[in-house]
Amino acid sequence: MTAAKSDVRQGTLALMVLKTLQTMGPLHGYGIARRIEQTSGNRLGVNYGTLYPALLKLQQEGYVSSEWGVSDNNRKAKYYKLTQAGRKQVEKEVREWEQTNAILARFLAPGRETQ
Amino acid sequence: MRTLRAWLLRAAGLFHKEQRDRELADEIESNLRMHIDDNVRAGMTPAEAQRQALLKFGGVESTKESYREQRGIPMLETLWQDVRFALRMLRKSASFTAVAVLTLALGVGANTAIFSIVNAVLLHSLPYRDPDRLVRIFFNEPGVGLRDVEFSKPELDDLQTRAGVFEDVTPIFEGTENLTGAKQPERLEAVNGSFSYFSMLGVIPQIGRLFGPQDFAPGFAPLAVISDGLWRRAYGADPNVLGRTIRLDGDPATIIGVLPRGFRHPGPTTSGDVEVFGAGGFSADPFPPPMRGTRILVSGIGRLKPGLTLAQAQARLTAMAAQLRHDFPTDYPPQAQWTIEIQPLQETLVGNVRPMLLVLLGAVILIVFIVSLNIANLLLARASARQQEMAVRLALGASRGRIVRQMLTESMLLSLIGGAAGIATAVGTLGFILRFVPSNVPRLNEVRIDWVVLAFALLISILTGLVFGLAPALHSAKGALSSAIREGGRGSGYNTKTGRLRDVLIVSELAFAVILMVGAGLLLRTLRDLLQENPGFNPTQVVTANTWLGVPNDPKMDPYLGIRGTATFDRELLRRMKAIPGVELAAITSALPTTNTNPSAVGGLANEGFAIEDRPVESSQDLHAERIRISPDYFKVLQATLLRGRSFNEGDEDGKPLVAIVDESTARKYWPTSDPLGRRVRFGKDPTEPWTTVVGIVKDIKNDGLDIDGVPHIYVSTYQDPSKQVSVVVRTSLPATLLEPQIRHEIQSIDPGLPVFNVSSMNGVLDRSLASRRFSADLVGGFAGLAVLLASIGIYGLLAYMVGQRSREIGIRMALGARRGDILRMFLRKGVALAGVGIVAGLVVSASTASMMASLLYGVRPHDPAVFLIVPLLLFAIAVLASYLPARRATKVNPIVALRES
Repeated sequence: MTAAKSDVRQGTLALMVLKTLQTMGPLHGYGIARRIEQTSGNRLGVNYGTLYPALLKLQQEGYVSSEWGVSDNNRKAKYYKLTQAGRKQVEKEVREWEQTNAILARFLAPGRETQ
Repeated sequence: MRTLRAWLLRAAGLFHKEQRDRELADEIESNLRMHIDDNVRAGMTPAEAQRQALLKFGGVESTKESYREQRGIPMLETLWQDVRFALRMLRKSASFTAVAVLTLALGVGANTAIFSIVNAVLLHSLPYRDPDRLVRIFFNEPGVGLRDVEFSKPELDDLQTRAGVFEDVTPIFEGTENLTGAKQPERLEAVNGSFSYFSMLGVIPQIGRLFGPQDFAPGFAPLAVISDGLWRRAYGADPNVLGRTIRLDGDPATIIGVLPRGFRHPGPTTSGDVEVFGAGGFSADPFPPPMRGTRILVSGIGRLKPGLTLAQAQARLTAMAAQLRHDFPTDYPPQAQWTIEIQPLQETLVGNVRPMLLVLLGAVILIVFIVSLNIANLLLARASARQQEMAVRLALGASRGRIVRQMLTESMLLSLIGGAAGIATAVGTLGFILRFVPSNVPRLNEVRIDWVVLAFALLISILTGLVFGLAPALHSAKGALSSAIREGGRGSGYNTKTGRLRDVLIVSELAFAVILMVGAGLLLRTLRDLLQENPGFNPTQVVTANTWLGVPNDPKMDPYLGIRGTATFDRELLRRMKAIPGVELAAITSALPTTNTNPSAVGGLANEGFAIEDRPVESSQDLHAERIRISPDYFKVLQATLLRGRSFNEGDEDGKPLVAIVDESTARKYWPTSDPLGRRVRFGKDPTEPWTTVVGIVKDIKNDGLDIDGVPHIYVSTYQDPSKQVSVVVRTSLPATLLEPQIRHEIQSIDPGLPVFNVSSMNGVLDRSLASRRFSADLVGGFAGLAVLLASIGIYGLLAYMVGQRSREIGIRMALGARRGDILRMFLRKGVALAGVGIVAGLVVSASTASMMASLLYGVRPHDPAVFLIVPLLLFAIAVLASYLPARRATKVNPIVALRES
């Protein structure tokens, strides 16, 4: 079952995390992983070995802050939330991705570039 | 900005690791719990829920590891790990560490010390304001082969006003002056310049003031500025010294200022620091009226206008000289091609010691190379012994890069420890070393271990670390896993790959040793030749002493006025010298052999122009010789050989016909086909001066230095042509130390105001003239000896190691019938082959670089066959001996024991 899922592409995990936090608000690591998997329609499997370092990196870069809180079912958990800089970064990266996608789309749809 | 912030946080992540680890563990734990809860909620049994969650989660430990890598700076952390491990390894093999650190300390220390001298003398700018604009000015007459000729006051004014390239110029008179009025009359070195001398150099006085335009006097100003040294010595650093009167050569001068400590006159000095500075206008008494042809000034320095390059300034000066030659044809005869040349002041000060210092620097760099090759060899041997350790590490998953890094960390650490020890050695011994540096090396007072020197020492340490660390590091990362583990580090044979590397190290070590030995051989041969050089006289059992009669600006102050006044003194001096018990014979000269360190100083021995009777005037332009004033017995005291004619006698005095004795060089140069005896010469250009008759020919005396040949000299009678510089030579069997008080007493009984200085045996005088050659020869010789020692240790170590590694093979060979002689030959052949290749390589490099040393050699060609023959033979013999000892040990191997052991 897990074998069918593909790993998150390098470089895209950070954006997924940021976007998830933007839509969902403060969330813990497990929640982030679940949410990314669900959003991808279970086509992605999030590896914790890369998720935690990625979260730490986002904190070091100042896009995300963390604090300990209590979950819905009363468990102590570390919650991550977007900072001001993080919000700007999401917008910026989304713009960049859209651009890249648009360009790639032109390449991947043959014949259309001549028009 | 973001990256910087991230890195700072990562650096912070190096600390409080435990707390951060715990926090991560908590987070993982809580997330895992939530996962399990969800699984249970989805209908799994608790056990299955936990299993699935853990499965999904992956390796908790590897997650933690990658988290840690993001948190800190892994490079740094492994570096720290490696450093700790390396320290442990170094401590474990204490004797190896001690040997390596000691030899490194020696190598780096020698480099630091020599480089600190090179840095201060050659690299630093002169310690004056805008030193790059300071130049020495030369007046040359290339047409008649003369450089640095004298110049006149109008020519000085031309430089100042007409040339348009100088902000300022000053003439410089260096010389000796007598300081009287203190306890003992003292001989001081003095400089007289213009009133802008100090402002041109940009000096600020320690107390008082320096010369300025308000002090102007057409002759000499009755003022003096004194050095810090004289202020402390003669006045006990009294702050009220200003306004006091000092007597210099009998003239009173008021002290107006004291120079800062460490100020040095930017010119050659005779024996130490200049301590008294005067200033004058050089255009009235005691100077003759300023006429273009009255060339009384001896040397000059100038400051170029800002923004002017040396080449631009030189071009304008050359043009001005051409214009002057055109405007004043009588003052500038066309065949002389009179011209003006400028040179950076720094170059004129240090240019002559550059080759020596660079050779010394080259020698110490070679030494540190040899040291590091030697350590590389030791490390390589250790690396072979540690093969098993490395193989296990590789097998456990260490990357080869990681192994190389760890090995490099070890050697870097070693080289840095050695470097630090070397710097400490240099700092501790620099003062001691400087005492042996000959005093003709200028600017030694500026030698410091500053940050440039430290950076150099660090660079040398790191380079040596790389040299000796890279080879074993690469080697240990390359080893074949399985065999290394199986061999268990003991090794049953000689690994060819390491073997070849070690061979290369030994060969290069020997080659470097050859280069050093050839250099040392050439320098030592030069020194030996000079020591054996016949100076033209017999220097043993001759004692010399000096005094200076003084040149007062006011003739009324001169007790030795005119020819008769000085002659009376000379005769009285000689009478008293001969009366000293133990003195057989005494004489006077104006210039002791080999002491002429500054020809342009007042009283220095300079080339003078002269004319020969019956020869056309134009040809007289290129006649020049050094004129030496002597008393009748001079040649007898020195036991110089009078070839023809007669010596001077007591009758050759004022009022009698003027007489001269020429040396062979003069005779050969100016009378190549005829007999100089009876010919007449005239010094200077004044046609009204009387002629002097040549009455004798003497064998050449090396007046200008043992390494200077062929300078023509003309001796004249001091009773006819007196000198203010009076040097006494006496033939005696007594040592100089015993005679000194008596000589001083006798001279000061004639005149208590006369200083007596540099009392020394003539051999001592000659010896001192070789001081800088002896210094470099001894130093390079010492380094060469060290190189040979290190290289032979290298060969010995390699072969001893080979014998140890191959003891089983030797045992088998012997069991199969090899004789001891065969075994001995087998190892000897190895040592001989290495030595041969290294020596040949070294000889090839030496042969192609030896000519760089040509300026330091005398009487020895850079490719001296003796040196190029003896050096390889000597080194070869040492190498054979160094390989014989371990080879003999190989023959003692007991086959039964050797085979059983493995």
